[in-house]
Amino acid sequence: MHTSAQTATVMVTPQQALWLELMQFYIREAWLLDERKFTEWLDLFTEDVLYFMPRRKNVPRRELHREVTPLGDLALFEDDKRYLEMRVARLDTGMAWAEDPPSRTRHLMGNLVVEPLDNGEVQARTAFLVYRSHLETDQQLFAGSREDVLRQVNGAWKVAKRTIVLDANVLLDKNLSIFF
Amino acid sequence: MGATQQYAIIDPETGKIDRRIFIDQAIYDEEMAKIFGRAWLMIGHESLVPKVNDFFHTYMGEDPVILTRDSQGQLHALLNMCRHRGNRVVRCDDGNARRFMCTYHGWTYANDGTLEYVPGESEAYYNALDRSALGLIEARVDTYAGIVFATWAVDAPSLEAYLGDARWYLDTVFNRRDCGMQALGPMKWIEPVNWKTLVDNCSDNYHVPTSHLSSLLVQSRYLGRPRLSHEEQFQSPNKHVFVNGHSLTFREVDDNTPRYVHGMSRDTFHIFQEHYNATLPEVEQRLGTFRARQVQLGNHSLFPNGVLGFRLALPRGPLKTEFWHFVLVEQDAPEAIKHVIRTGSQANNGAAGLFEQDDIDNWCQVTTASRSRIARQYLQDLSMGIGHAGAHPDYPGLVSERYISENNQRHFYLRWQEFMNAESWADIPLDPITARFEGTATA
Repeated sequence: MHTSAQTATVMVTPQQALWLELMQFYIREAWLLDERKFTEWLDLFTEDVLYFMPRRKNVPRRELHREVTPLGDLALFEDDKRYLEMRVARLDTGMAWAEDPPSRTRHLMGNLVVEPLDNGEVQARTAFLVYRSHLETDQQLFAGSREDVLRQVNGAWKVAKRTIVLDANVLLDKNLSIFF
Repeated sequence: MGATQQYAIIDPETGKIDRRIFIDQAIYDEEMAKIFGRAWLMIGHESLVPKVNDFFHTYMGEDPVILTRDSQGQLHALLNMCRHRGNRVVRCDDGNARRFMCTYHGWTYANDGTLEYVPGESEAYYNALDRSALGLIEARVDTYAGIVFATWAVDAPSLEAYLGDARWYLDTVFNRRDCGMQALGPMKWIEPVNWKTLVDNCSDNYHVPTSHLSSLLVQSRYLGRPRLSHEEQFQSPNKHVFVNGHSLTFREVDDNTPRYVHGMSRDTFHIFQEHYNATLPEVEQRLGTFRARQVQLGNHSLFPNGVLGFRLALPRGPLKTEFWHFVLVEQDAPEAIKHVIRTGSQANNGAAGLFEQDDIDNWCQVTTASRSRIARQYLQDLSMGIGHAGAHPDYPGLVSERYISENNQRHFYLRWQEFMNAESWADIPLDPITARFEGTATA
């Protein structure tokens, strides 16, 4: 049996096209993070971004509405663009000891679900596994989800709001000196 | 003192300390009994259980404890252990419940600890079970300015005596306002460090210009915050005080400016200044003019494991500590101030904190250096500023001459030794209360 290289026209719906476009966006983002191109990564966020990681509590099943802490409670991250820029600028000083020598990370993103919003923005949910190896033997595995609101700025998608929810109650090792 | 081991782990003349206290399981086990079994431990805040029947799950050392507000409004610290077999009766972080049912056999306790119901009490137990003797184990509870403390020791002195003159300083933040404070959090994470290293670090001002240089640089650039260079720190008129095992730093203020907290920037300073001006008359009434205008609390730790504003260092074996980080805000502070304090606290001192991140590998390696064969033979050196601390005419406690010193670390480990060598509370000295508590704020 022999197949020749052929180009086939594949019909995709606008929804599927958007899904493919955003999947590429998230794959690119993961590579930027793992290749430590943090300045380029910062450019994926709008100027008014909220980068938010609430806490996750143990609550009874009938009170699951309280499981993830709301905005206004103490969060693990509640950064605006300026704080994100500071986090990245800090790495470039050469004296951000938590990340110097830097962590080795691997961001695996998937389970993308895309939902266009009425105002032209898009809500995109992804699940992730993030592995971090640091110094000699320190390691962490983070699992969780992200819910982004994406907006077109000058023809490119940018994240206007990111909510990261880890699947952990007590974090098991050291610190959160990497990005999600 | 019979067969009790006598600890001599620090030489006060040289500041050398024996590293075994950071790694040894037997020493750790004794710490759990002699320090965490005796001291008044910070366990939470009243604002975490604001309504009747609220509860908040916390720890005293490694023991799980439920902080409850019963149906009468009384606070209780109850060991989270069913008296039957020992299962936990609460598995949630917080909530509202009148009763706690053990999921093993159904023994059910009221939120004041009373054992109310046992399945089969008449049939299976033939009414021979003394329920009244089988309530949840309860610790002594007291509060200071809304912060909840508990102790297992029946012979412990009052919380007021335990805090002693430290309260004179703590009041300037925690007892400042009529409205009281609200606790947010905690975020929780585990670090592979001995609990004492974190507590000792929180009155170590020497590390700031080195450990935190990258954060100081960017926060100076982006937020207009001070650089805190070594030179500034060595010349700083700020003070470093030690009382009853508690370490406190404070700023002597002469310019009517607000306390400089994490998150404040050149853009938000004015909001804090306006709030300071607006509340100063109330604060003067509560604390007296001198404290209201001249004393601003900085880093501090409360013996044994409460640190830096509102943070618990919960021991999890000699080589692990679970950190709980809360932030406290004045209940009626403007939303803009609450926002700055909340976000500044997470961005600087939380698990993802710009400052906090850079501490952790230092602390881990202090712990691991105490384990290996050759390294552990060399003592830690805490000699800085020996002989340069004493009484001060204006400020209670043992006051070091400079802001940068290891006076408080030496005394923290000496306090540790006092607890470890004591047979009972009768052997543990307390500094007499000598401060003049002006104003209407009470313990």
